[in-house]
Amino acid sequence: MDLDKARYRQRKRRNATNSILCVSATVLGVGILAIILGTLVYKGFSGLSVEVFTQMTPPPGSAGGLLNPIVGSLIMTVIGVLIGAPLGMLAGTYMAEYGRYSKMTSVVRFINDILLSAPSIVMGLFVYTIMVAPMGHFSGFAGAIALAVLVIPIVVRTTEDMLLLVPGSLREASAALGMPRALMIRKVAYKAARAGMITGVLLAVARVSGETAPLLFTALNNQFWSTNLNAPLSSLPVVIFQFALSPYADWQRLAWVGALIITLAVLALSIAARWLGSSRTSQ
Amino acid sequence: MNLMPSSSTRPVEKLSVRGLNFYYGQTLALKNINLPLYEQQVTAFIGPSGCGKSTLLRVLNRMYDLYPNQRAEGEVIFDGVNLLSPKQDVNLLRSRIGMVFQKPTPFPMTIYENIAFGVRLYERLLKHDLDERVEQSLRRAALWTEVKDKMHTSGLSLSGGQQQRLCIARTVAIKPDVILFDEPCSALDPISTARIEELIDELKQEYTIAIVTHNMQQAARVSQKTAFMYLGELIEFDDTAKIFTSPQAKQTQDYITGRFG
Repeated sequence: MDLDKARYRQRKRRNATNSILCVSATVLGVGILAIILGTLVYKGFSGLSVEVFTQMTPPPGSAGGLLNPIVGSLIMTVIGVLIGAPLGMLAGTYMAEYGRYSKMTSVVRFINDILLSAPSIVMGLFVYTIMVAPMGHFSGFAGAIALAVLVIPIVVRTTEDMLLLVPGSLREASAALGMPRALMIRKVAYKAARAGMITGVLLAVARVSGETAPLLFTALNNQFWSTNLNAPLSSLPVVIFQFALSPYADWQRLAWVGALIITLAVLALSIAARWLGSSRTSQ
Repeated sequence: MNLMPSSSTRPVEKLSVRGLNFYYGQTLALKNINLPLYEQQVTAFIGPSGCGKSTLLRVLNRMYDLYPNQRAEGEVIFDGVNLLSPKQDVNLLRSRIGMVFQKPTPFPMTIYENIAFGVRLYERLLKHDLDERVEQSLRRAALWTEVKDKMHTSGLSLSGGQQQRLCIARTVAIKPDVILFDEPCSALDPISTARIEELIDELKQEYTIAIVTHNMQQAARVSQKTAFMYLGELIEFDDTAKIFTSPQAKQTQDYITGRFG
Protein backbone atom coordinates (compact mmCIF):
# COMPACT_ATOMS: atom_id res chain seq x y z
CA MET A 1 0.00 0.00 0.00
CA ASP A 2 1.22 3.45 -0.88
CA LEU A 3 0.27 5.57 2.09
CA ASP A 4 -0.05 9.22 1.16
CA LYS A 5 0.97 10.68 4.51
CA ALA A 6 -0.16 14.21 3.76
CA ARG A 7 -3.58 12.97 2.67
CA TYR A 8 -3.92 10.80 5.74
CA ARG A 9 -2.93 13.67 8.05
CA GLN A 10 -5.48 15.91 6.38
CA ARG A 11 -8.16 13.30 6.90
CA LYS A 12 -7.30 12.96 10.58
CA ARG A 13 -7.42 16.72 10.97
CA ARG A 14 -10.86 16.89 9.40
CA ASN A 15 -12.06 14.12 11.61
CA ALA A 16 -10.82 15.93 14.69
CA THR A 17 -12.46 19.21 13.61
CA ASN A 18 -15.78 17.47 13.03
CA SER A 19 -15.65 15.69 16.36
CA ILE A 20 -14.89 18.91 18.21
CA LEU A 21 -17.77 20.72 16.48
CA CYS A 22 -20.23 17.94 17.28
CA VAL A 23 -19.14 17.60 20.88
CA SER A 24 -19.21 21.33 21.54
CA ALA A 25 -22.68 21.65 20.00
CA THR A 26 -23.90 18.86 22.27
CA VAL A 27 -22.24 20.40 25.33
CA LEU A 28 -23.76 23.77 24.48
CA GLY A 29 -27.28 22.30 24.10
CA VAL A 30 -27.13 20.17 27.21
CA GLY A 31 -25.41 22.99 29.09
CA ILE A 32 -28.18 25.47 28.36
CA LEU A 33 -30.77 22.91 29.42
CA ALA A 34 -28.82 22.26 32.62
CA ILE A 35 -28.62 25.98 33.37
CA ILE A 36 -32.38 26.36 32.86
CA LEU A 37 -33.18 23.40 35.07
CA GLY A 38 -30.56 24.43 37.62
CA THR A 39 -31.92 27.98 37.89
CA LEU A 40 -35.43 26.58 38.15
CA VAL A 41 -34.50 24.26 40.98
CA TYR A 42 -32.33 26.86 42.73
CA LYS A 43 -35.00 29.57 42.62
CA GLY A 44 -38.04 27.35 42.96
CA PHE A 45 -37.02 24.64 45.36
CA SER A 46 -36.52 26.96 48.33
CA GLY A 47 -40.08 28.24 47.96
CA LEU A 48 -41.55 24.74 47.79
CA SER A 49 -43.61 24.04 50.89
CA VAL A 50 -46.88 22.52 52.02
CA GLU A 51 -48.51 25.94 51.84
CA VAL A 52 -47.93 26.05 48.11
CA PHE A 53 -50.33 23.15 47.69
CA THR A 54 -52.85 24.19 50.36
CA GLN A 55 -53.26 27.97 50.05
CA MET A 56 -54.68 30.33 47.45
CA THR A 57 -52.69 32.84 45.45
CA PRO A 58 -52.07 35.77 47.77
CA PRO A 59 -52.47 39.49 47.27
CA PRO A 60 -49.08 41.21 47.02
CA GLY A 61 -47.18 41.33 50.25
CA SER A 62 -48.82 38.43 52.07
CA ALA A 63 -48.17 34.72 52.25
CA GLY A 64 -50.00 32.24 50.07
CA GLY A 65 -49.76 29.28 47.73
CA LEU A 66 -50.75 28.01 44.30
CA LEU A 67 -53.68 25.75 45.10
CA ASN A 68 -56.22 27.47 42.84
CA PRO A 69 -53.99 27.58 39.74
CA ILE A 70 -52.86 23.97 40.29
CA VAL A 71 -56.45 22.75 40.52
CA GLY A 72 -57.52 25.00 37.63
CA SER A 73 -54.74 23.62 35.43
CA LEU A 74 -55.64 20.06 36.35
CA ILE A 75 -59.34 20.62 35.60
CA MET A 76 -58.73 22.23 32.23
CA THR A 77 -56.08 19.74 31.18
CA VAL A 78 -58.23 16.76 32.12
CA ILE A 79 -61.33 18.12 30.35
CA GLY A 80 -59.26 19.17 27.35
CA VAL A 81 -57.74 15.71 27.04
CA LEU A 82 -61.08 13.96 27.67
CA ILE A 83 -62.56 15.92 24.76
CA GLY A 84 -59.54 16.03 22.47
CA ALA A 85 -58.08 12.54 22.85
CA PRO A 86 -61.19 10.51 21.82
CA LEU A 87 -61.80 12.81 18.84
CA GLY A 88 -58.17 12.51 17.81
CA MET A 89 -58.18 8.74 18.22
CA LEU A 90 -61.33 8.33 16.15
CA ALA A 91 -59.97 10.55 13.40
CA GLY A 92 -56.63 8.73 13.49
CA THR A 93 -58.46 5.41 13.30
CA TYR A 94 -60.39 6.57 10.26
CA MET A 95 -57.17 7.62 8.55
CA ALA A 96 -55.24 4.44 9.27
CA GLU A 97 -58.04 1.90 8.90
CA TYR A 98 -61.25 2.81 7.10
CA GLY A 99 -59.94 5.60 4.94
CA ARG A 100 -56.43 4.35 4.37
CA TYR A 101 -56.70 4.52 0.60
CA SER A 102 -59.06 7.46 0.32
CA LYS A 103 -58.15 10.90 -0.94
CA MET A 104 -59.81 12.49 2.05
CA THR A 105 -57.18 10.96 4.32
CA SER A 106 -54.33 12.75 2.61
CA VAL A 107 -56.27 16.01 2.79
CA VAL A 108 -57.00 15.50 6.49
CA ARG A 109 -53.38 14.55 7.15
CA PHE A 110 -52.15 17.72 5.46
CA ILE A 111 -54.54 19.94 7.44
CA ASN A 112 -53.67 18.10 10.64
CA ASP A 113 -49.97 18.74 10.08
CA ILE A 114 -50.73 22.45 9.72
CA LEU A 115 -52.73 22.40 12.96
CA LEU A 116 -49.91 20.55 14.66
CA SER A 117 -47.47 23.36 14.00
CA ALA A 118 -49.90 26.27 14.28
CA PRO A 119 -48.99 28.75 17.04
CA SER A 120 -51.08 28.05 20.12
CA ILE A 121 -52.04 31.71 20.42
CA VAL A 122 -54.00 31.30 17.18
CA MET A 123 -55.97 28.47 18.78
CA GLY A 124 -56.65 30.77 21.76
CA LEU A 125 -57.93 33.51 19.47
CA PHE A 126 -60.08 30.98 17.62
CA VAL A 127 -61.75 29.78 20.81
CA TYR A 128 -62.06 33.39 21.98
CA THR A 129 -64.02 34.18 18.83
CA ILE A 130 -66.33 31.18 18.93
CA MET A 131 -66.89 30.91 22.69
CA VAL A 132 -65.70 33.82 24.84
CA ALA A 133 -67.04 36.62 22.64
CA PRO A 134 -70.57 35.16 22.20
CA MET A 135 -70.80 34.19 25.88
CA GLY A 136 -69.62 37.61 26.93
CA HIS A 137 -67.12 36.41 29.54
CA PHE A 138 -64.01 34.31 30.01
CA SER A 139 -64.53 30.79 31.32
CA GLY A 140 -62.69 27.66 32.38
CA PHE A 141 -64.69 25.73 29.85
CA ALA A 142 -63.42 27.89 27.00
CA GLY A 143 -59.90 27.25 28.32
CA ALA A 144 -60.51 23.49 28.29
CA ILE A 145 -61.81 23.69 24.72
CA ALA A 146 -58.74 25.64 23.65
CA LEU A 147 -56.54 22.92 25.13
CA ALA A 148 -58.68 20.23 23.46
CA VAL A 149 -58.10 21.92 20.09
CA LEU A 150 -54.37 21.62 20.78
CA VAL A 151 -54.66 17.99 21.84
CA ILE A 152 -56.55 16.80 18.75
CA PRO A 153 -53.81 17.13 16.10
CA ILE A 154 -51.19 15.51 18.36
CA VAL A 155 -53.37 12.51 19.09
CA VAL A 156 -54.52 12.21 15.46
CA ARG A 157 -50.92 12.04 14.39
CA THR A 158 -49.71 9.50 16.95
CA THR A 159 -52.81 7.31 16.58
CA GLU A 160 -52.47 7.17 12.81
CA ASP A 161 -48.72 6.51 13.00
CA MET A 162 -49.09 3.77 15.58
CA LEU A 163 -51.92 2.03 13.73
CA LEU A 164 -49.94 2.16 10.50
CA LEU A 165 -47.15 0.31 12.32
CA VAL A 166 -49.51 -2.60 13.01
CA PRO A 167 -48.57 -5.15 10.34
CA GLY A 168 -51.08 -5.66 7.54
CA SER A 169 -50.66 -9.40 8.02
CA LEU A 170 -52.47 -9.07 11.36
CA ARG A 171 -55.40 -7.42 9.60
CA GLU A 172 -55.49 -10.14 6.97
CA ALA A 173 -55.28 -12.84 9.64
CA SER A 174 -58.22 -11.28 11.46
CA ALA A 175 -60.22 -11.03 8.25
CA ALA A 176 -59.37 -14.66 7.45
CA LEU A 177 -61.22 -15.72 10.61
CA GLY A 178 -64.29 -13.86 9.44
CA MET A 179 -63.78 -10.99 11.85
CA PRO A 180 -65.72 -7.83 11.01
CA ARG A 181 -63.52 -4.79 10.55
CA ALA A 182 -64.78 -2.86 13.57
CA LEU A 183 -63.96 -5.79 15.82
CA MET A 184 -60.55 -6.22 14.23
CA ILE A 185 -59.76 -2.57 14.95
CA ARG A 186 -60.96 -2.74 18.55
CA LYS A 187 -59.56 -6.10 19.55
CA VAL A 188 -56.48 -6.54 17.41
CA ALA A 189 -55.20 -3.25 16.01
CA TYR A 190 -55.78 -1.18 19.17
CA LYS A 191 -54.26 -3.93 21.24
CA ALA A 192 -51.12 -4.03 19.12
CA ALA A 193 -50.83 -0.24 19.03
CA ARG A 194 -51.93 0.46 22.60
CA ALA A 195 -48.62 1.49 24.14
CA GLY A 196 -47.89 3.93 21.32
CA MET A 197 -51.35 5.45 21.45
CA ILE A 198 -51.14 5.99 25.22
CA THR A 199 -47.71 7.55 24.75
CA GLY A 200 -49.28 9.96 22.27
CA VAL A 201 -51.93 11.03 24.76
CA LEU A 202 -49.32 11.50 27.51
CA LEU A 203 -47.21 13.67 25.21
CA ALA A 204 -50.32 15.70 24.39
CA VAL A 205 -50.95 16.19 28.13
CA ALA A 206 -47.35 17.27 28.62
CA ARG A 207 -47.63 19.69 25.75
CA VAL A 208 -50.87 21.40 26.80
CA SER A 209 -50.14 21.56 30.52
CA GLY A 210 -47.52 24.21 29.85
CA GLU A 211 -49.55 26.27 27.39
CA THR A 212 -50.11 29.90 28.37
CA ALA A 213 -51.20 31.75 25.26
CA PRO A 214 -54.47 29.92 24.56
CA LEU A 215 -55.54 30.28 28.21
CA LEU A 216 -54.92 34.05 28.30
CA PHE A 217 -57.74 34.52 25.80
CA THR A 218 -60.11 31.97 27.23
CA ALA A 219 -59.87 31.06 30.90
CA LEU A 220 -58.04 34.26 31.82
CA ASN A 221 -57.24 33.98 35.52
CA ASN A 222 -58.90 33.96 38.91
CA GLN A 223 -57.41 35.26 42.15
CA PHE A 224 -59.75 33.14 44.23
CA TRP A 225 -60.72 29.55 44.75
CA SER A 226 -63.08 28.48 41.98
CA THR A 227 -64.01 25.31 40.20
CA ASN A 228 -66.82 26.95 38.28
CA LEU A 229 -66.24 26.17 34.62
CA ASN A 230 -68.56 28.97 33.59
CA ALA A 231 -66.33 31.61 35.21
CA PRO A 232 -62.71 32.64 34.70
CA LEU A 233 -60.42 29.91 35.99
CA SER A 234 -56.91 30.12 37.29
CA SER A 235 -54.08 28.12 35.74
CA LEU A 236 -50.39 27.65 36.52
CA PRO A 237 -48.93 29.01 33.29
CA VAL A 238 -51.03 32.18 33.40
CA VAL A 239 -50.22 32.72 37.09
CA ILE A 240 -46.53 32.26 36.38
CA PHE A 241 -46.81 34.78 33.56
CA GLN A 242 -48.59 37.31 35.75
CA PHE A 243 -46.51 36.83 38.90
CA ALA A 244 -43.17 36.75 37.14
CA LEU A 245 -43.88 40.11 35.52
CA SER A 246 -45.00 41.68 38.81
CA PRO A 247 -42.70 43.88 40.90
CA TYR A 248 -43.41 41.95 44.14
CA ALA A 249 -40.70 39.64 45.44
CA ASP A 250 -43.07 37.06 46.99
CA TRP A 251 -45.10 36.83 43.76
CA GLN A 252 -41.90 36.33 41.81
CA ARG A 253 -40.85 33.56 44.19
CA LEU A 254 -44.21 31.82 43.71
CA ALA A 255 -43.78 32.11 39.94
CA TRP A 256 -40.50 30.18 40.24
CA VAL A 257 -42.20 27.52 42.35
CA GLY A 258 -45.01 27.20 39.80
CA ALA A 259 -42.50 26.87 36.97
CA LEU A 260 -40.69 24.15 38.89
CA ILE A 261 -43.95 22.26 39.51
CA ILE A 262 -44.95 22.35 35.83
CA THR A 263 -41.49 21.29 34.70
CA LEU A 264 -41.39 18.35 37.12
CA ALA A 265 -44.90 17.26 36.07
CA VAL A 266 -44.00 17.40 32.37
CA LEU A 267 -40.75 15.59 33.09
CA ALA A 268 -42.65 12.83 34.90
CA LEU A 269 -45.08 12.51 31.98
CA SER A 270 -42.24 12.33 29.46
CA ILE A 271 -40.52 9.64 31.48
CA ALA A 272 -43.79 7.70 31.69
CA ALA A 273 -44.21 8.04 27.92
CA ARG A 274 -40.62 6.89 27.35
CA TRP A 275 -41.08 3.95 29.64
CA LEU A 276 -44.28 2.90 27.89
CA GLY A 277 -42.61 3.26 24.53
CA SER A 278 -39.65 1.10 25.47
CA SER A 279 -41.80 -1.56 27.14
CA ARG A 280 -43.60 -1.89 23.81
CA THR A 281 -40.45 -2.75 21.92
CA SER A 282 -39.27 -5.26 24.51
CA GLN A 283 -42.64 -7.03 24.51
CA MET B 1 -60.72 -54.43 -3.60
CA ASN B 2 -60.09 -51.58 -1.21
CA LEU B 3 -56.37 -51.33 -1.78
CA MET B 4 -56.49 -47.68 -2.76
CA PRO B 5 -59.01 -46.09 -0.44
CA SER B 6 -58.61 -42.55 -1.67
CA SER B 7 -59.41 -43.38 -5.28
CA SER B 8 -62.06 -45.99 -4.59
CA THR B 9 -64.72 -43.34 -4.01
CA ARG B 10 -65.25 -40.55 -6.48
CA PRO B 11 -63.98 -37.31 -4.88
CA VAL B 12 -66.55 -34.60 -4.25
CA GLU B 13 -65.91 -31.25 -5.88
CA LYS B 14 -66.05 -28.74 -3.03
CA LEU B 15 -64.95 -25.60 -4.81
CA SER B 16 -65.02 -24.96 -8.53
CA VAL B 17 -63.19 -22.08 -10.12
CA ARG B 18 -64.76 -21.20 -13.48
CA GLY B 19 -63.51 -18.69 -16.01
CA LEU B 20 -61.71 -16.63 -13.37
CA ASN B 21 -59.93 -13.43 -14.38
CA PHE B 22 -58.24 -11.29 -11.76
CA TYR B 23 -57.03 -7.71 -11.98
CA TYR B 24 -54.62 -5.63 -9.94
CA GLY B 25 -55.75 -2.23 -11.21
CA GLN B 26 -55.40 -2.58 -14.98
CA THR B 27 -53.04 -5.55 -14.83
CA LEU B 28 -54.54 -8.91 -15.62
CA ALA B 29 -52.97 -11.28 -13.09
CA LEU B 30 -55.05 -14.41 -13.59
CA LYS B 31 -56.26 -15.46 -17.02
CA ASN B 32 -59.32 -17.64 -17.39
CA ILE B 33 -58.61 -20.11 -14.59
CA ASN B 34 -60.74 -23.26 -14.41
CA LEU B 35 -59.98 -25.56 -11.51
CA PRO B 36 -61.77 -27.92 -9.11
CA LEU B 37 -60.82 -28.43 -5.45
CA TYR B 38 -61.86 -31.81 -4.08
CA GLU B 39 -63.05 -32.69 -0.62
CA GLN B 40 -60.62 -34.67 1.54
CA GLN B 41 -57.79 -33.88 -0.81
CA VAL B 42 -54.86 -31.53 -0.76
CA THR B 43 -54.41 -29.47 -3.90
CA ALA B 44 -51.01 -27.84 -4.36
CA PHE B 45 -50.46 -24.71 -6.43
CA ILE B 46 -46.93 -24.56 -7.80
CA GLY B 47 -45.15 -22.27 -10.21
CA PRO B 48 -42.43 -19.62 -10.32
CA SER B 49 -42.75 -16.36 -8.33
CA GLY B 50 -45.34 -14.00 -9.72
CA CYS B 51 -47.26 -16.71 -11.56
CA GLY B 52 -50.45 -15.92 -9.63
CA LYS B 53 -50.71 -18.89 -7.29
CA SER B 54 -51.06 -16.78 -4.14
CA THR B 55 -53.43 -14.47 -5.96
CA LEU B 56 -55.61 -17.44 -6.85
CA LEU B 57 -55.62 -18.58 -3.23
CA ARG B 58 -56.61 -15.11 -2.05
CA VAL B 59 -59.56 -15.11 -4.43
CA LEU B 60 -60.95 -18.23 -2.78
CA ASN B 61 -61.69 -16.46 0.53
CA ARG B 62 -62.05 -13.03 -1.08
CA MET B 63 -59.06 -11.68 0.80
CA TYR B 64 -58.55 -9.30 -2.12
CA ASP B 65 -61.72 -7.50 -0.98
CA LEU B 66 -59.63 -5.72 1.66
CA TYR B 67 -57.87 -3.73 -1.01
CA PRO B 68 -59.25 -1.25 -3.52
CA ASN B 69 -58.20 -1.70 -7.16
CA GLN B 70 -58.30 -5.47 -6.95
CA ARG B 71 -61.17 -7.27 -8.61
CA ALA B 72 -62.15 -10.68 -9.86
CA GLU B 73 -64.35 -11.77 -12.77
CA GLY B 74 -65.82 -15.19 -13.30
CA GLU B 75 -67.21 -17.67 -10.80
CA VAL B 76 -66.04 -19.65 -7.81
CA ILE B 77 -68.78 -22.09 -6.88
CA PHE B 78 -68.78 -23.16 -3.25
CA ASP B 79 -71.60 -25.49 -2.19
CA GLY B 80 -73.69 -24.40 -5.16
CA VAL B 81 -73.25 -20.65 -4.63
CA ASN B 82 -70.97 -18.23 -6.46
CA LEU B 83 -68.82 -16.82 -3.69
CA LEU B 84 -67.63 -13.93 -5.86
CA SER B 85 -71.17 -12.56 -5.93
CA PRO B 86 -71.47 -9.18 -4.19
CA LYS B 87 -74.37 -10.62 -2.21
CA GLN B 88 -72.05 -13.10 -0.49
CA ASP B 89 -71.31 -12.05 3.13
CA VAL B 90 -67.49 -12.10 3.20
CA ASN B 91 -67.16 -12.55 6.95
CA LEU B 92 -69.38 -15.62 6.95
CA LEU B 93 -67.54 -16.90 3.90
CA ARG B 94 -64.17 -16.52 5.60
CA SER B 95 -65.40 -18.36 8.66
CA ARG B 96 -66.05 -21.34 6.36
CA ILE B 97 -62.92 -20.98 4.24
CA GLY B 98 -60.00 -20.49 6.61
CA MET B 99 -56.51 -19.30 5.72
CA VAL B 100 -53.02 -19.80 7.12
CA PHE B 101 -50.40 -17.29 6.02
CA GLN B 102 -46.77 -17.37 5.04
CA LYS B 103 -45.60 -15.64 8.19
CA PRO B 104 -47.10 -16.72 11.50
CA THR B 105 -49.58 -14.06 12.61
CA PRO B 106 -50.55 -14.66 16.24
CA PHE B 107 -52.69 -11.88 17.72
CA PRO B 108 -51.23 -9.83 20.58
CA MET B 109 -53.16 -11.87 23.14
CA THR B 110 -52.68 -14.97 25.25
CA ILE B 111 -52.42 -18.38 23.60
CA TYR B 112 -55.88 -19.26 24.88
CA GLU B 113 -57.42 -16.02 23.63
CA ASN B 114 -55.79 -16.40 20.22
CA ILE B 115 -58.03 -19.41 19.67
CA ALA B 116 -61.07 -18.56 21.78
CA PHE B 117 -61.41 -15.17 20.13
CA GLY B 118 -62.19 -16.57 16.70
CA VAL B 119 -64.58 -19.16 18.11
CA ARG B 120 -66.57 -16.52 20.00
CA LEU B 121 -67.14 -14.58 16.79
CA TYR B 122 -69.70 -17.08 15.57
CA GLU B 123 -70.60 -19.34 18.48
CA ARG B 124 -71.85 -18.75 21.98
CA LEU B 125 -70.24 -21.48 24.06
CA LEU B 126 -70.16 -22.15 27.78
CA LYS B 127 -66.76 -21.70 29.40
CA HIS B 128 -66.34 -25.43 29.73
CA ASP B 129 -67.18 -26.09 26.07
CA LEU B 130 -64.95 -23.28 24.96
CA ASP B 131 -62.05 -24.69 27.00
CA GLU B 132 -62.65 -28.02 25.40
CA ARG B 133 -62.71 -26.53 21.90
CA VAL B 134 -59.43 -24.72 22.55
CA GLU B 135 -57.78 -27.89 23.81
CA GLN B 136 -59.13 -29.95 20.95
CA SER B 137 -57.90 -27.42 18.37
CA LEU B 138 -54.46 -27.28 19.94
CA ARG B 139 -54.31 -31.08 19.91
CA ARG B 140 -55.29 -31.09 16.25
CA ALA B 141 -52.43 -28.69 15.56
CA ALA B 142 -50.01 -30.85 17.59
CA LEU B 143 -49.30 -27.97 19.93
CA TRP B 144 -51.22 -28.95 23.06
CA THR B 145 -48.45 -30.71 24.96
CA GLU B 146 -46.10 -27.78 24.41
CA VAL B 147 -48.44 -25.04 25.57
CA LYS B 148 -50.91 -26.63 27.98
CA ASP B 149 -49.11 -25.22 31.01
CA LYS B 150 -48.82 -21.69 29.65
CA MET B 151 -52.16 -21.04 28.06
CA HIS B 152 -52.27 -17.56 29.53
CA THR B 153 -48.93 -16.31 28.30
CA SER B 154 -48.71 -14.21 25.16
CA GLY B 155 -48.98 -15.98 21.82
CA LEU B 156 -46.02 -13.88 20.72
CA SER B 157 -43.74 -15.69 23.18
CA LEU B 158 -43.83 -18.92 21.14
CA SER B 159 -41.22 -19.91 18.58
CA GLY B 160 -41.90 -19.42 14.88
CA GLY B 161 -42.96 -23.01 14.28
CA GLN B 162 -45.17 -23.01 17.36
CA GLN B 163 -46.74 -19.71 16.30
CA GLN B 164 -47.58 -21.20 12.92
CA ARG B 165 -49.20 -24.21 14.57
CA LEU B 166 -51.10 -21.81 16.84
CA CYS B 167 -52.41 -20.12 13.69
CA ILE B 168 -53.45 -23.49 12.31
CA ALA B 169 -55.19 -24.31 15.61
CA ARG B 170 -56.96 -20.98 15.44
CA THR B 171 -58.16 -21.72 11.93
CA VAL B 172 -59.27 -25.26 12.77
CA ALA B 173 -61.10 -24.07 15.92
CA ILE B 174 -63.81 -22.28 13.98
CA LYS B 175 -64.54 -25.48 12.04
CA PRO B 176 -64.23 -24.31 8.46
CA ASP B 177 -64.92 -26.51 5.42
CA VAL B 178 -61.87 -25.45 3.48
CA ILE B 179 -58.39 -24.43 4.64
CA LEU B 180 -56.09 -22.40 2.41
CA PHE B 181 -52.36 -22.50 3.15
CA ASP B 182 -50.25 -19.73 1.64
CA GLU B 183 -46.64 -21.01 1.78
CA PRO B 184 -47.12 -22.02 5.41
CA CYS B 185 -43.59 -23.35 5.88
CA SER B 186 -41.45 -20.83 4.05
CA ALA B 187 -40.49 -19.05 7.29
CA LEU B 188 -39.85 -22.26 9.26
CA ASP B 189 -36.97 -24.62 9.92
CA PRO B 190 -37.03 -28.20 8.53
CA ILE B 191 -38.29 -29.81 11.75
CA SER B 192 -41.22 -27.42 12.08
CA THR B 193 -41.87 -27.87 8.37
CA ALA B 194 -42.10 -31.63 8.76
CA ARG B 195 -44.56 -31.27 11.63
CA ILE B 196 -46.78 -28.96 9.64
CA GLU B 197 -46.70 -31.27 6.64
CA GLU B 198 -47.80 -34.17 8.84
CA LEU B 199 -50.54 -31.96 10.16
CA ILE B 200 -51.80 -31.05 6.70
CA ASP B 201 -51.86 -34.74 5.86
CA GLU B 202 -54.06 -35.47 8.88
CA LEU B 203 -56.31 -32.48 8.35
CA LYS B 204 -57.17 -33.51 4.82
CA GLN B 205 -59.40 -36.29 6.17
CA GLU B 206 -61.90 -33.66 7.26
CA TYR B 207 -61.20 -30.64 5.13
CA THR B 208 -60.70 -29.50 1.60
CA ILE B 209 -57.18 -28.13 1.49
CA ALA B 210 -55.32 -25.90 -0.96
CA ILE B 211 -51.65 -25.09 -0.46
CA VAL B 212 -49.38 -22.68 -2.27
CA THR B 213 -45.76 -23.75 -2.14
CA HIS B 214 -42.43 -22.92 -3.70
CA ASN B 215 -41.06 -26.21 -2.59
CA MET B 216 -41.77 -28.94 -5.13
CA GLN B 217 -40.80 -31.76 -2.78
CA GLN B 218 -43.36 -30.40 -0.39
CA ALA B 219 -46.04 -30.39 -3.09
CA ALA B 220 -45.13 -33.96 -3.96
CA ARG B 221 -45.23 -35.03 -0.29
CA VAL B 222 -48.48 -33.49 0.86
CA SER B 223 -50.79 -33.13 -2.12
CA GLN B 224 -52.99 -35.43 -4.14
CA LYS B 225 -53.66 -32.92 -6.91
CA THR B 226 -51.26 -30.35 -8.29
CA ALA B 227 -51.90 -27.25 -10.36
CA PHE B 228 -48.95 -25.76 -12.23
CA MET B 229 -49.30 -22.08 -12.99
CA TYR B 230 -47.21 -19.78 -15.13
CA LEU B 231 -47.66 -16.08 -15.94
CA GLY B 232 -51.21 -16.00 -14.64
CA GLU B 233 -52.35 -19.08 -16.51
CA LEU B 234 -53.14 -22.53 -15.28
CA ILE B 235 -50.85 -24.65 -17.42
CA GLU B 236 -51.64 -28.06 -16.08
CA PHE B 237 -53.82 -29.64 -13.40
CA ASP B 238 -53.73 -33.34 -12.58
CA ASP B 239 -52.97 -35.97 -9.96
CA THR B 240 -49.77 -35.04 -8.17
CA ALA B 241 -48.16 -38.35 -9.07
CA LYS B 242 -48.83 -37.69 -12.72
CA ILE B 243 -47.61 -34.09 -12.70
CA PHE B 244 -44.31 -35.15 -11.17
CA THR B 245 -43.73 -38.26 -13.28
CA SER B 246 -45.29 -37.63 -16.66
CA PRO B 247 -46.40 -34.02 -17.11
CA GLN B 248 -48.20 -33.27 -20.33
CA ALA B 249 -47.04 -29.70 -20.90
CA LYS B 250 -43.44 -28.88 -21.77
CA GLN B 251 -43.44 -25.91 -19.34
CA THR B 252 -44.48 -28.14 -16.45
CA GLN B 253 -41.74 -30.58 -17.29
CA ASP B 254 -39.16 -27.80 -17.45
CA TYR B 255 -40.28 -26.35 -14.13
CA ILE B 256 -40.33 -29.54 -12.11
CA THR B 257 -36.97 -30.62 -13.44
CA GLY B 258 -35.53 -27.24 -12.46
CA ARG B 259 -34.70 -26.24 -16.01
CA PHE B 260 -36.97 -23.26 -15.92
CA GLY B 261 -35.65 -20.00 -17.40
